[in-house]
Amino acid sequence: MPTLTIDNQQVTVHDGATVFEAAEQLGIVIPHFCYHKALGAVGACRMCAVTVHAGIFKGLQMACLLKVEEGMVVTTGDPRSVEFRARVAEWQMLNHPHDCPVCDEGGECQLQEMTIAGGHGRRRYRGEKRTYNNQQLGPFIAQEMNRCIQCYRCVRTYRDYCGGRDFGVMGSRNRVFFGRFQAGPLESDFSGNIVDVCPTGVLTDKTYRFKSRHWDLQEAASVCPHCSLGCATLPGGRYRELQRVRSGINEQVNGCFICDRGRFGSSYVNHPDRPRQARLAEQPVTVVDALQQLAGQARELIETHGPEAVLLLGSSRATLETNWLLQRWAAELGCRPPLLAAHTPRHQAARVAAFDLADRLASLAEVRQADLLVLFAVDPLAEAPLLAVALRQAVRNGGRVLVYDPRPVELPCEFEHQSLTVLQIRNLLAEETVESTLLRELLDRAARPVLIGGGDLLGAGGLRHLQRLATKASSALRPCLVHPVLGGPNSFGSALLSPPEPGEDDLLTRLESGRVKMLVCLETDPLLEAPDGERFADTLTRLDELVVFDYLPTPLSVHATLFIPSTAPVEAAGSFINNEGRLQLFGRVIEPGLPIAVTGGGDHPPREFFTVTPGSDPQPAWQLLQQLLGGRADLQAVRQRMQVALPCLAGFAELQPGGPGLRAAAAVAPGRFEESLPEQPLGSLQLLVTPARYGSDLFSRYADKLAPRFSAAGIILNPQDAAERGLNAGERVILDTDAGSYRLPLTCHAGLAAGCALVENSAAFPHLVPGGELGFCQVSAEVAHD
Amino acid sequence: MPLLRDIKGSFQPFWVTLRNMFRKPVTVQYPEQRPELPERYRARLILTRDPDGAERCVACYLCSAACPVDCISLQAAEAEDGRRYAAWFRLNFARCIFCGLCTEACPTLAIQVTADFELAGRDPLKLVYEKEDLLVDHCGRQPDYNFYRQTGIGVTAPRGGNPGESPPVDVKDLLP
Repeated sequence: MPTLTIDNQQVTVHDGATVFEAAEQLGIVIPHFCYHKALGAVGACRMCAVTVHAGIFKGLQMACLLKVEEGMVVTTGDPRSVEFRARVAEWQMLNHPHDCPVCDEGGECQLQEMTIAGGHGRRRYRGEKRTYNNQQLGPFIAQEMNRCIQCYRCVRTYRDYCGGRDFGVMGSRNRVFFGRFQAGPLESDFSGNIVDVCPTGVLTDKTYRFKSRHWDLQEAASVCPHCSLGCATLPGGRYRELQRVRSGINEQVNGCFICDRGRFGSSYVNHPDRPRQARLAEQPVTVVDALQQLAGQARELIETHGPEAVLLLGSSRATLETNWLLQRWAAELGCRPPLLAAHTPRHQAARVAAFDLADRLASLAEVRQADLLVLFAVDPLAEAPLLAVALRQAVRNGGRVLVYDPRPVELPCEFEHQSLTVLQIRNLLAEETVESTLLRELLDRAARPVLIGGGDLLGAGGLRHLQRLATKASSALRPCLVHPVLGGPNSFGSALLSPPEPGEDDLLTRLESGRVKMLVCLETDPLLEAPDGERFADTLTRLDELVVFDYLPTPLSVHATLFIPSTAPVEAAGSFINNEGRLQLFGRVIEPGLPIAVTGGGDHPPREFFTVTPGSDPQPAWQLLQQLLGGRADLQAVRQRMQVALPCLAGFAELQPGGPGLRAAAAVAPGRFEESLPEQPLGSLQLLVTPARYGSDLFSRYADKLAPRFSAAGIILNPQDAAERGLNAGERVILDTDAGSYRLPLTCHAGLAAGCALVENSAAFPHLVPGGELGFCQVSAEVAHD
Repeated sequence: MPLLRDIKGSFQPFWVTLRNMFRKPVTVQYPEQRPELPERYRARLILTRDPDGAERCVACYLCSAACPVDCISLQAAEAEDGRRYAAWFRLNFARCIFCGLCTEACPTLAIQVTADFELAGRDPLKLVYEKEDLLVDHCGRQPDYNFYRQTGIGVTAPRGGNPGESPPVDVKDLLP
């Protein structure tokens, strides 16, 4: 723990810290370009020069590279360092164009700030400015190479940190160029991060091109809703339009980066078909009237038909507060407790995570530091993209990644893939195979092992097996942690609120019993978000009333007899609990309303003035429920009450958006449901439904910015299975499942485990939903019609 | 002595009136007589064009950021040739205090002040000027300046063709 003096202030830092980090600890900002917290130092830009007065190396030194020694004396503002930095800023500006007014980075540009801080104002060099030809880098990233100052941050992010391969540096001397070998869309699923790290306007967000300046954006710390990881984000909106999302910083979860799905998948908020008006039987009504109607009808139905008549359905998309208030409303009405997820198998898996695994959950930070990571039935890039980047960091730190998955998994790092079917993986977890013994030995030898389980394919039973394996592999010296991957942004929260109770039945059994007269769906559409959508659709005809609260133009909101618009996650404050039980708050970014781009039709805003914003009817779901319950709508008071009612949420009311969040895991409860694995019918294939990387979760499905990355519908078979059935790649084949039969084009992939059929749930093929019970299917050639 | 002071104080105003009675009046008989305003008088704002006849405004939002009363709102857009322009530009003269800070902030010399002060009206909405009301057909005060020729962006000239620029480098060239 050396102590040093910087600008006459003493500070003690950890061993191996640099002068830069020590200065940061004191709150002294040393100008820099190439240093980045997540990427480390390379000492390329020479901007962070400081003067060392006492120490082994005296004189001008680069603060980002210089390790702290005991008794060092450093100054950052002495004339020598200031002069040096001013010259560096001047030479960085030699070739930089004077196009700040038309550059999207203007206003949040590190080069602007450092140039002004360095005092450089007049270009003395009279030579010509170097220019480049730009590349088209696809739908998300715009490149303007003339602005480049060669800090190498983009390459270090794209290649080193995120593991992309198609973007690099080429050229020599002052012709160094950052881009692809040939123009074309960037292939990495983390390409957007280069926009955040670029210290100037070389790489900018194409979807946000020329929309706003940083100073005009309304921003608030938020949590990404696209998967269960809950990465920190900073969405920005202006003129009632959510215009961009950039990465927030949460060292425990995402670090400094996010995936492209989270970054470019935000335009669901401004979907042109988004329902913004409350409707009663196709007629527009005010929200107040709609709520009165709902409360009156619900009470009447319960009085005449009993507590079964009204079924309330929460969701893993809704915030924790909303789901909790829904439970309170159910108690007040006197109906049965609400179901907090339409997707029963996913909900059960989340419950295992929330209750059984509560004492051994690993955060993404722990994944990054692990030395052995074993993935069971997880395809990170599809189910939780940033997990793939965390795995890469573990590998870069010397860790080893083993993947047991039937799918042709791709990861941006070195890994060993065992192509096993889901049944084989479950047997492996139940320690019935030779491989299990080998795995146990590996786990026993590891210093920081983490098991990662996919809730979708493993299900609750599989996750429970994973828990047993982790318990056995733990020792007194170190625990074996588990990182479960769940379905929705608040799956864990919904599970935490609904502890397992005996004799519980799921949504479809309740609906099919015929006793339910009114179904209230709160920010969920079981038609798209739960398996057996067809069965659910059939039960809708038996209902008297279908009430939907939502902010997405889902098919169910069209069918609703009573529709009440609610706000999207960025339009209201709330909280989600991520897959490792981290309770995180998000703030309100923009207020709901039709964007000016819509009301003005692209031209200037209308020249009539109203006191009410058009399209501003949506209210936060928790606020709507609070109105139904009566009482004051105060989110902080709701959190206070929740914290009293649920001891595992201690500290909820003091939490602020943007922090690391707090672990909210319940006491470990013994597992209840044991499941028997179904027998595979002869000649059938195991049906695997995987989420598409883009367009599987409803947020990204309704985000038009992501449309270029949407995949086409198709079925993938192992070439061996295809040959046995006489099927050729490219043909249309018939997939027969319990839920129905579908005609899909066939692709063969040797990476897929034999005996499996893989389909992707996406906008193009929404019929089968990932995470259902283990199912089997038949694939046959299309019968030619005459 | 208060009495003496009071007597003096009663006569002094009469003397001032008497002195000014025979001076030439300074009142301008507006509107029959037009006032002569200084060249740099700050009144109605305009959006000027560059010497090539294209809009100078690149919708950089600096004017709206500099405006102390928030009377400027605009939205930038991109033309097919890569030119950044204002899709709409609204200036509320009912709110404007004619401080001219927007013209000082403007990096392309697009927004300029004129000496036209006759903006009074009964309907405040008529003082909300849109882009078509603000855009004029001349270059205003700096007739020679074209922002895109100075910036290093290939809009008015091909890339590397602006003054002071070398042609685009061949990135696959490995010669020293």
